[in-house]
Amino acid sequence: MSRGLGRSTANRAMRRSPRDLSERALASWLLLPAFALLGLVAVYPVLNLMVTSLYELHLAYGPKGAFVGLANYERLLEDARFANALRVTLLITLVTVPGAALLGLLLALLANLPYMVKWPVRLGLLLPWAMPLVFAGLIFRWFFESDYGVVNDVLRKLGLAPLFWLSDPRLAFWAISASIIWKTSSFVALVLLAGLQSIPKEYYEAAQVDGANAWQVFYRITLPLLAPSLFVALVFRTITALQTFDIPYAMTGGGPGNATETLAMYIRTQTVENLNFGYGSAMAVALFVLCMATTALYLRFLQREEGE
Amino acid sequence: MVRLLVGVLVALLLASGALAQQVKLRVFIGGQQRPDVMRKILDVYEQRNPGVKVEIEVGGATSDQQQQYLTTVLTSRDPSLDIILIDIIRPAQYKAAGWSEPLDRYLPLGARDALLRQYLPAYVRANIVDGTLIALPAFADAQFLFYRKDLLDKYGFKAPTTWDEAIRQAQTILQGERNPNLNGIGFMGNISEGTVCSFLLPIWAAGGDVTDERGRLVLTEDMARRSLQFWLDLMDRHRVSPPNMAEKAQDTIRREMQQGRWIFGTLFAYAWAHFQNDPDSQVKGKIGVAVMPRFEGGRSASCLGGWQWTISNFSRNKAQAYRLLRYLSSPEVAKVLALEASNLPAFPELYRDPDVLRANPWFADALPVVLNARARPVHPRYPEIADVMRRGLNAVLARTKTPEQAAREIVQGLRTIYGQ
Repeated sequence: MSRGLGRSTANRAMRRSPRDLSERALASWLLLPAFALLGLVAVYPVLNLMVTSLYELHLAYGPKGAFVGLANYERLLEDARFANALRVTLLITLVTVPGAALLGLLLALLANLPYMVKWPVRLGLLLPWAMPLVFAGLIFRWFFESDYGVVNDVLRKLGLAPLFWLSDPRLAFWAISASIIWKTSSFVALVLLAGLQSIPKEYYEAAQVDGANAWQVFYRITLPLLAPSLFVALVFRTITALQTFDIPYAMTGGGPGNATETLAMYIRTQTVENLNFGYGSAMAVALFVLCMATTALYLRFLQREEGE
Repeated sequence: MVRLLVGVLVALLLASGALAQQVKLRVFIGGQQRPDVMRKILDVYEQRNPGVKVEIEVGGATSDQQQQYLTTVLTSRDPSLDIILIDIIRPAQYKAAGWSEPLDRYLPLGARDALLRQYLPAYVRANIVDGTLIALPAFADAQFLFYRKDLLDKYGFKAPTTWDEAIRQAQTILQGERNPNLNGIGFMGNISEGTVCSFLLPIWAAGGDVTDERGRLVLTEDMARRSLQFWLDLMDRHRVSPPNMAEKAQDTIRREMQQGRWIFGTLFAYAWAHFQNDPDSQVKGKIGVAVMPRFEGGRSASCLGGWQWTISNFSRNKAQAYRLLRYLSSPEVAKVLALEASNLPAFPELYRDPDVLRANPWFADALPVVLNARARPVHPRYPEIADVMRRGLNAVLARTKTPEQAAREIVQGLRTIYGQ
């Protein structure tokens, strides 16, 4: 993709006229504010974070840090709590991204139906999407609360023993994952719905004429044409999954013990609570690298797809 | 025309002069600290000091949640807060991070000693860090055993003095009442500040502590294990606490006790005003307060709490803030807080004040408890110490770690922090 772009600019550069040049200059000037803003709010903080991660900066020992090179990163490798947080984060990503994609696809298909049913579905899609994450977390905490929660109430009415959803590590993981899937599938569905609506009706009409069954229509027409939207949704969903914070924070606070603590939560504990900004920054850089690597992986996959 | 211009200019000057005289101060407190009562107290101050407006900013329902917000404000050197109410465990951290304006600047040494003599000694100790006065006390606090007087009377019990007694009483009452919504002994077990006190209580009661007088770590794995085992046994062996104690925060227990769901609760003093005055309270007049139980052959131990007023180092009105701080840490305000919020005073003479005793009869026996209450470790890295302890106890209560495992991890974690 980038190679193609490079070639066309090169072609244009060969035929460059003085007027083009002034237009290019104008374009750069017009872009400058955007770049400056981006530099200020994205590039500078990230660079600052990287620099901080090379310092032993712990506010309990005063506001001035000492340069320690990569010592904070060495500590990362030995920190069992970091390893656990990384494991929890990756597990949540592995469970909730496919989960949200499947549920989102189902919802998008329902919302795209040409019947009345699409309206309640569309309205229902907007609600979880518009809700702040921490609200969703608090709602689900009450949902899964062991004494007063709805889930245990249902279990009791069915004559089953109530479960300790938030203080059993395995159950807590699934309760959190279910909440995340509920909250994020509507985002996937909204992106996919836009994709579905851009598929020309002619294809479906042609398929009908050819006598294709519903499964064939879905598998041969809808899914391939939906792939670009699905891809965009997956990239965004994966990045936000790697940064999961609000929902487990509101539901379990990382408990029991550290069993459901994600990377973003551990970073917050080290910085905002413990005031260990040096070490916290090193972990934040690690998370940043993880997100960048995931994005790069997706982009590579996309390039290969487009290359075919 | 010229006259009109001059007139406008004069009017503007006058207006700006009036604006300059108007001082606005901003006070930060937590949701638990009764913003309604605090507003009344500040209204009185505004009446007495025309030209001073005081706003309240309320944030966070628990000590740790408040501090999270304050950390963001203070690390960004935000001048919007002038006076902050901080928990007794924070002054060392505030001093180390440079967040507090040292109060010695306003108090010559002689005046400082005279002022500090009026307060309970524990709060003087807590607020002086390495010789610097960081804050002044707002109110005292300690953990007490709140109990259902009506239920204990019904079964012919007196308030328990040992844990064994409390356990036996709870078992008898639970068996007799056969009420599925009634629980025995409530204590804090979720991941919050109160759980640190839960972890430390049995250690103190057994005569141990985290550090010695010189601040060296002396907590052993065995002491830690016994504490963890004690709380676990309340659930699994004695069956006086329900199996989901890992979910319980202090205010959860307080609310549930208010609905009549607990026989005993280890809570801080603020609970009393809620039990007696809240419109939805079903236990009005049915609650007794006792000194925390001891172990057979051991001593009673309570966790020292309490809140302090400090001036933000980034305030732009430090002189005015200091005047307000002296008012807020005065006996007059302490009395209002005792009457309306059942906050224990940091002034010993208020424990004999007839008005205070009429509102809180149990304050008569509370002074020795506050005097003997034990302080949590004083350390600039206290948040990390607290995190190690509360996550350890929480994991044991959730049965994801055995007391042995958790005790080992707690002591190892503390060793790293103390550098030993």
